[in-house]
Amino acid sequence: MGETVGNLIGLNDEVIHPAANLAVEAHNSPSKQFLVKKIKIRHDLSSVVVFAFSGSMLPKDWSGQPTFAKTEIATGEFRSLTSLNDGGDAVVNGSFLRRFKDVIGNLSKAKELKEATEKKRQVVFAGYSSGGPIAILATLYFLEKQTPSPRCLTFGSPLVGDRIFGHALRREGWSDYFTHFVMKYDIIPRIMLSPSSTEHEQILDYFKSKFDRKNINPAPPSGFYLTVMGNASSVASYEACRLMGCRNPSLDIIKSFIELSPYRPSGTYVFCTGNGNLVVVKNPNAVLQILIHCAELGESNTAEVEKRSLDEHSAYLSELKDCLGMQAVVSLDGGPATATLNDLGLSPQAMLCLQAAEEFENRRSRNLENFRKYLEKVEVELEKMRKYKENAQISRLGYYDSFKLQNEDDDFHANVSRLELAGMWDEIKEMLKEFELPDDFEKKREIIDLGTKYRRLVEPLDIANFYRHSKDKETGAYVIGGGPRPKRYRFIQRWLEHDEKEEFGSRSESLFWADVEQLGIDIKKKGYVQEIEERIQQVERNLIAWIGDRSLDDDVLLENSTFVKWWRDLPPQHKPKSDRIEKLIGEMSERVTQGTKI
Amino acid sequence: MKRRRMNQVPLFSSAGELANMLVTSNLIEAAWAKIPELQRGQSALPSSVQTMVDHPTPKCTIVVFAPSPDSTQDALSQGGDLVPYPKFDFLCTKGCPSVSINRAALTLFTPLYDHLSGLKDELNKREGQLIITGQSLGGSIASLFTLFLLSSMDKESKCRPICITFGSPLIGNFGLQHSHWNSFFLHLVSDKDPLPTLFLPSGRSAPTSSHSQATAYKPFGTYLLCSELGCACFDDPDFIFKFLTVASSEVAGGLQVVVDYGEILRNLKYRAICKGPRLVGERLTDPFSAGIVMELKTIGIDPAKHNIDIGRMEKDARDLTWKTNKASEAKKLNDRKINMVWLEWYRKKAEDVKKDYYDCFRNERFNIEAKIQWHMEDLTTYWEDMVAEAERKPQKEGASFRTGWLQAGTTYRRMVEPLDIAVFYKDGGRDYINSERSQHYKLLEQWYEEAAKPPTSEELDSKKQKVSVLLTEDSCFWAHVEEAILSCKSLTNANSTPELRESSWNNLVKFGEYVMEQIENYAVSPEIFLKDSCFMTWWGEYKVYIASPSNPCSLRFIQFIDFMKTGRYGVYGRSEVP
Repeated sequence: MGETVGNLIGLNDEVIHPAANLAVEAHNSPSKQFLVKKIKIRHDLSSVVVFAFSGSMLPKDWSGQPTFAKTEIATGEFRSLTSLNDGGDAVVNGSFLRRFKDVIGNLSKAKELKEATEKKRQVVFAGYSSGGPIAILATLYFLEKQTPSPRCLTFGSPLVGDRIFGHALRREGWSDYFTHFVMKYDIIPRIMLSPSSTEHEQILDYFKSKFDRKNINPAPPSGFYLTVMGNASSVASYEACRLMGCRNPSLDIIKSFIELSPYRPSGTYVFCTGNGNLVVVKNPNAVLQILIHCAELGESNTAEVEKRSLDEHSAYLSELKDCLGMQAVVSLDGGPATATLNDLGLSPQAMLCLQAAEEFENRRSRNLENFRKYLEKVEVELEKMRKYKENAQISRLGYYDSFKLQNEDDDFHANVSRLELAGMWDEIKEMLKEFELPDDFEKKREIIDLGTKYRRLVEPLDIANFYRHSKDKETGAYVIGGGPRPKRYRFIQRWLEHDEKEEFGSRSESLFWADVEQLGIDIKKKGYVQEIEERIQQVERNLIAWIGDRSLDDDVLLENSTFVKWWRDLPPQHKPKSDRIEKLIGEMSERVTQGTKI
Repeated sequence: MKRRRMNQVPLFSSAGELANMLVTSNLIEAAWAKIPELQRGQSALPSSVQTMVDHPTPKCTIVVFAPSPDSTQDALSQGGDLVPYPKFDFLCTKGCPSVSINRAALTLFTPLYDHLSGLKDELNKREGQLIITGQSLGGSIASLFTLFLLSSMDKESKCRPICITFGSPLIGNFGLQHSHWNSFFLHLVSDKDPLPTLFLPSGRSAPTSSHSQATAYKPFGTYLLCSELGCACFDDPDFIFKFLTVASSEVAGGLQVVVDYGEILRNLKYRAICKGPRLVGERLTDPFSAGIVMELKTIGIDPAKHNIDIGRMEKDARDLTWKTNKASEAKKLNDRKINMVWLEWYRKKAEDVKKDYYDCFRNERFNIEAKIQWHMEDLTTYWEDMVAEAERKPQKEGASFRTGWLQAGTTYRRMVEPLDIAVFYKDGGRDYINSERSQHYKLLEQWYEEAAKPPTSEELDSKKQKVSVLLTEDSCFWAHVEEAILSCKSLTNANSTPELRESSWNNLVKFGEYVMEQIENYAVSPEIFLKDSCFMTWWGEYKVYIASPSNPCSLRFIQFIDFMKTGRYGVYGRSEVP
């Protein structure tokens, strides 16, 4: 207690109310795509530039095909919005995305934006109601471009993205830039948890006539609350089942018969309790549970709550005016604070859901802690591997070929290490798939480094094992889309590529041996056709580049290695980079001779 | 990852949330929608059970069963006893060797059998969602039909069924607790409905139901238990039984009352978005008990009054959480791979010194046998569990469960059992096959034999090429060799009785024939012929004896003796014909 909202979200309190004002004004100015306003902060005289977006209450701007207007977003300007393991790309509401795309051209060119960037002023994108999604997507757009981090403030905004969307935001460390204000009963922040329906249209129509001011007091619709909140409740219960570790075997079957809304909250939520208190929540699972449970029917009758759910959508300005700057904010993270939860009027069942949401986060942190102990084990196995590789180099064969032959006890022990490591990384892979590790796990420097070290050192042995047993005859080449290459390597490679902002597939140095082996097989099958020649050239280029940047170890160049033997056998006309590679092989040979002399 | 100490982690009960998710979705409503309609339209029709197939959307099919009120009453008056029904023996498990079905349900189901066979085949071909539903005995037919359908579905089937029943009585003596099929059944039961409790011991049951059999009924699937206050989902058969027993002593109203589940659903849907009543205090230190107590009270169960052991429920949930952890499952599988790599390595070490695997292990030639034994134990524990799990599943499902790993299980059996045999005979054991052989080996072998097809001539050919790298097929081969050594000793021992001599002689003839058959089928690894192997040691002793004139014998036995004496075994497995 004792902190203001501004402190908790890292924005001056003086900005919030004017931003809300501008957001409401912009929403009701359909002739302009956005409004801009500079706000001076009194105590340090800095300026904050707020952009606020217009809204639309037309059903076509809220919904679309397929159901929930589900649209995969991770392309071009939103390349980070994807899962780095099996989860696929983030899904957003396609109608919101379309409206954002209509705006972004003019927004990028806005002189106020340029000026703010030049003068290093804090930029805030704000949106009220259907202006919210545009503010959210605009903020993301500029975060992807690595401009000085903009902030996002929304008031009564509908949900925009799915679980992967939120996961990606948290992974990138962007989640804290988004703050969403929600009134206790406001229907709009919940509406996307329910599929579009006549009830949706009734609600939007009502607001449309209200905002258009053609009809000052339009008749409010009725009967929608049970439908919309019923569907929303289904989503919340499903998520609660997951958080609580539901062990009922029917859950998956049931889920396959029900189409739930994909949308989930992300960013920081500020719940306005209606009595001057604000509750700040960051845990996304807790936010979802509160969104549903605080709007449950209590003693008041359905009609009353239904009316409130419409009225409160228009109450942000007055509510925020009263409670901003007051020291009456409670942050929920770090344990439910019962007193403030009373303001939200949560039932004991809701409290259990919150506890489960909190416990889920705790479990992820614990898993990370356990993983740190685990790292030592990985290091020990990797060290064994490194020694193995070193010893194999002395024999001038290299560890790839030595492993492939499996003649010595050392090769066997390396095989056990390979399997031990595979077990550990596969377990990590499973945990990531189940979201059992913190969202930013795949962004952590030490983990990307360790993974890359593992991939470069051990994947060649998986390839050796694969071709030793001629597994290509059963499954096709080691590297083909969705082929036999173990997923753990795909993921680890993706972490690195994502971190370096490279194209997916560009850091495949650990696949060098697979390219060589497969080429050997394919030449026998097809002869030196065009395609083969191109592949040979690619292997040569890769070799030179990867040896150059040290991502590929030079023991591929050992005289007796599969690569050198294969390459020497190639007819000269197929080796355009012959001189360069001969030189590399020669240098390697010298190094080894000197090394053994010592 | 390091074994998490699960007992320190808070646990939750999601019985209420799962139920809420169900009633707020449209699934159950969709299943219910057609039932009252079909029930109403029925009086005009002559048939005793109405079946309706409806397609609300192109990718969704709903099948509804509705018996007429008269036929329901008729069937119920037949009684609640269990009748053996061999047609459903595909549900047999180790714990339930024969399947019995409730007489009332069978009375309605049997006449429909042929009609349903056709319907089953038709639906099996369909893609997408399939909801099978019915109320009271209509629900019983729906359940039986779904089981029937599941038994005929294969992996390629794109039909995804779910069976939803409303107020149906218990059906049979079989459980599905260890079966994947369990997850396809959802039973709604209102605490106001007398029908589901009909055949229970304490219930006011139908006139002729036999109480002695009543406890043999086993609930299966997930039960959505509802009261005026709300609902909760349970799938523990013991608890469901308990709930039904409690409900049966408290429910009022005659059997003619048909409960309107549509009305119940409307109430539950409304309840789902209401703040629940404050059934427990603020203390949430133990979220599992707090949750489960609320859920139980919601459906009218008082843990103290009805003697519910919350502690045991929590323990069961904890065990299950641990068991269903996917990450540790993946780890386990990988660990078994490592165990096998050690054994393969041991085999290779033997090969490198030109010894056979069995002999090396029996005589502890490498001083790492203790370590190998440790890996064997890991593997045995794992495979005993797998076999036990397969046995707990209904026969038919168990078979398809097995196909995924039978090959790996066979490799395991061929690698590890010889070593078990080595230890057994080294310690002076006798008659391994009949006195010592573990059940899981027997079953692995039996399942393998059942699944195996006789090899084609090409397959036999390729086997011939590869025999040197293959494992000896009969994992008991060395037990036969050991027995032959013992028989040989009895035969040559001057103190043996004539009877013992004769039986030993016969055993050895049988053994010779057996080995020859293995050789002809390329079913033994050439390593058995390596110098100093137990087999060759035996031959060394036997050869001396057989050199003297002997009783008449079979052709195969003569072939065997010839094969050995002429040294043709030396080229066995070198791609020439022996």
